[in-house]
Amino acid sequence: MPRLLAALFVGMLVLGSAVDVVHAAPQVRVLAVEGGQNVDPLAAPAGIKAIVFLFTSTDCPISNRYAPEVRRLATTYGPKGVAFRLIYPSPAETQTGIREHMAAFAYTGAAQAFRDPTLGLVKFVGATITPEAAVVAGGKVVYRGRIDNRYVDLGLERPAATVHDLSEALEAVVTGKLVPHPTTQAVGCYIADFAR
Amino acid sequence: MRVALVAIVIATVASGFNRTQTVASGFSRTFPAGPEGPALRQSRSAESLALQPPTYAKDIAPLLADRCGMCHDAGGAAPFGLLTYADVKRHATQIVTVTRNRYMPPWKADPSNGPFVGQHPLTSAEIDLIRRWVDGGTVEGDPRDLPAPRHWTDGWRLGPPDLIVTLPQPYTLQAEGTDVFRIFVIPLPVSRTRFVRGLEFRPGNPKVVHHANIRVDTTAASRALDDADQGPGYNGLILRSADYPEGHFLGWTPGQVAPLLPKDLTWRLDPKTDLVVEAHMQPSGKKESVQPSIGLYFSDTPPTRTPAMLRLGRQTIDIPAGEKQYTVTDSYVLPVDVEVEALQPHAHYRAREVQGEATLPDGTKRLLIHIADWDFRWQHVFQYESPLRLPKGTTVSMRWVYDNSADNPRNPQRPPVRAQWGQRSSDEMGDLWMQVLTRNEPDLVTLTRQFRAKVAVEDVNGYELEIEKHPDDTGLHDSAALLYLEVGRPEGAVAHFQKALALKGGSAPAHYNLGTALSVAGRLDEAVSEYRQAIQIDGGYANAHNNLGGVLLAQGKTGEAVREFRDAVRLQPQSASGLANLAWVLATAPQAADRHANEAVDLAMRVVDLTARRDARALDVLGAAYASAGQFDRAQEAASTALRLAPAEPLAAEIRRRQDLYRQGRPYVAPDPASRR
Repeated sequence: MPRLLAALFVGMLVLGSAVDVVHAAPQVRVLAVEGGQNVDPLAAPAGIKAIVFLFTSTDCPISNRYAPEVRRLATTYGPKGVAFRLIYPSPAETQTGIREHMAAFAYTGAAQAFRDPTLGLVKFVGATITPEAAVVAGGKVVYRGRIDNRYVDLGLERPAATVHDLSEALEAVVTGKLVPHPTTQAVGCYIADFAR
Repeated sequence: MRVALVAIVIATVASGFNRTQTVASGFSRTFPAGPEGPALRQSRSAESLALQPPTYAKDIAPLLADRCGMCHDAGGAAPFGLLTYADVKRHATQIVTVTRNRYMPPWKADPSNGPFVGQHPLTSAEIDLIRRWVDGGTVEGDPRDLPAPRHWTDGWRLGPPDLIVTLPQPYTLQAEGTDVFRIFVIPLPVSRTRFVRGLEFRPGNPKVVHHANIRVDTTAASRALDDADQGPGYNGLILRSADYPEGHFLGWTPGQVAPLLPKDLTWRLDPKTDLVVEAHMQPSGKKESVQPSIGLYFSDTPPTRTPAMLRLGRQTIDIPAGEKQYTVTDSYVLPVDVEVEALQPHAHYRAREVQGEATLPDGTKRLLIHIADWDFRWQHVFQYESPLRLPKGTTVSMRWVYDNSADNPRNPQRPPVRAQWGQRSSDEMGDLWMQVLTRNEPDLVTLTRQFRAKVAVEDVNGYELEIEKHPDDTGLHDSAALLYLEVGRPEGAVAHFQKALALKGGSAPAHYNLGTALSVAGRLDEAVSEYRQAIQIDGGYANAHNNLGGVLLAQGKTGEAVREFRDAVRLQPQSASGLANLAWVLATAPQAADRHANEAVDLAMRVVDLTARRDARALDVLGAAYASAGQFDRAQEAASTALRLAPAEPLAAEIRRRQDLYRQGRPYVAPDPASRR
């Protein structure tokens, strides 16, 4: 009996650390790269179980190195009801620059892209880094952090990732389980710098 | 994959040629002005810094232009520029983070080491200044305070090169994965011998090329590997035939350019030489085109000094899986005074800390290099601003520490596996290379001869390990056999050449190589049989005729020996070794009937010309030929010239003995091996 209690307690802690997003907050609006000035980033067609916001920037080398992995995840989880949305938070990014970036890194067709120059969505989900992922499901941010653990710090990386946090989170979401590690630390470029 | 060893002209039984290094004396040297930038402008006093917040224009722009601009410029190696207010502001937090953890500017060595060329670390005060500027709101300040714009990456930093070579076809780097190592072989189109003062590497795509190892290959071996691999370059290892040129480091790390060498310290570049460039690349997330260029800077005068390359290190590295503190140490006592020009520590992913030290004869210790957080990705040749003098009797030592546990994020294997010595990046290495100059040529000869013996023993260990992993690699057996010969263990050479012969199914060079090892081992009858088989397969094999002649001579079969030497010379009229052997036997044959003094003099003079009067052995042959012809004054003179070149023992003692004979008006006659039986 005491063992069961402890397990429950741990489970609640994990739930508690997820960020509550009661509903699409009316003040959070982004710009769709392919047109659309005042888009609700949380709006999704029926059948979508989760939305992945992937914060990125055109000139962050760590973000760019993840492009093949992001495409792979989008291909794997798209058919399982997960929408991938690239978010470019830097106000300096232009529509043309983003389109070129998406073509160069083969994102075109794999994910929709949005600009977030006022950092509304950034603040809403608590992102600080590019690349960083935020997974929204059931009205909550159920995961926020790194794609995987390949980068330990700026200047320290593993030859290959050994823990695939975003993939684990998505697997949990699509199978109706709790996300094992709802928040992790991303490594890359600082979104705070974009707003200076 | 490997190319057969053809024509190793090693010590034949009768007479062989030792190449003598030619170096004049002299320690003083000056470097021309390097590509370093102007000194940082006078920073404001601490007092005024405390009073007003730093501004971009006055404080940050000059600092970043000086320390970061060589890479963080448009077209530079860095992923973004840092030369405008907008660009710097966009990366402000990142700059604070990476300067405080000293990831940037990239300089892995302890700042107290050196001073080295290109060493411009930020001081703690400067790092703090950046932090305060960011904390204070990244104030732009008065644009009139900005430094004059400066562009680092326009053109070649060493000036217009004399020759520019470019990889003929661009290489396509894959979009993802970990580090890629690709070896490109670039022919150098020079029609005559040139002397190289320096080279500048331009990565072609600086965003993905992380560093480059550069070697020269005077054989076709590297090119053959490149040709055999699809696309530009090849995957694999840098061959033994691709080496640093005559004791000079070559390489490239982002933002760094080795200054041009002084004219007395150039390196020789002969026609038909290839540059071998191992590019270390990091995939960027998309396919990238990589097409490096290299600019070469020539001098018309040959070097008068040659540096020696010392290498401490072990090839017995064997790290158990999970071991967190595996240590590799090595040391060497310098037999002569040296000046250390440059250092290059080398290890792969599992090394965590490297340290090189010098203990002077009086016991004082001097730290040469210390990298507390070794990172395989930032390999660098640390060149002293002014050479470091180390007196004879100094012990140079190294201590490398490896972590082969899962706690080492850079560990390439997960879970960790046993790691042994090997050149692949998944294996481990541990070396400290040191480029040194000696006071004079005899010191250089002493140093290289003594040091070579130490290194060869270590190399034998490495080859045996490699052969354990790849028992059917004929190139490895050939190379190992050569080393066994070098360290004076000919039976080891016989065993490896036998294995190579069996693997190759009996090629002429394989028989030749085995014959050579057998002759050095004193197994003359077997050697004769191998050489004859080589000649049977390839009748035009000059070196086989030459070496066979040497063995026959040692067996007392002078007539047969002369026939073989004549065949060798006929097939290869410019071979100094063949000509010298023939001259020697015609001058010194035990039986008078076999001696032909005038022909011997003619042949010996050709050898002396071919070797530019710089080869003691050639001059010794000439002396013997003159003495045979009764010209004892000339014989004495030739012997004196030979001795002035400081030949190694026992040759020097033999020349002195012969010189005594010439003084007495007596020729040198070789003992008859047949009569000794």
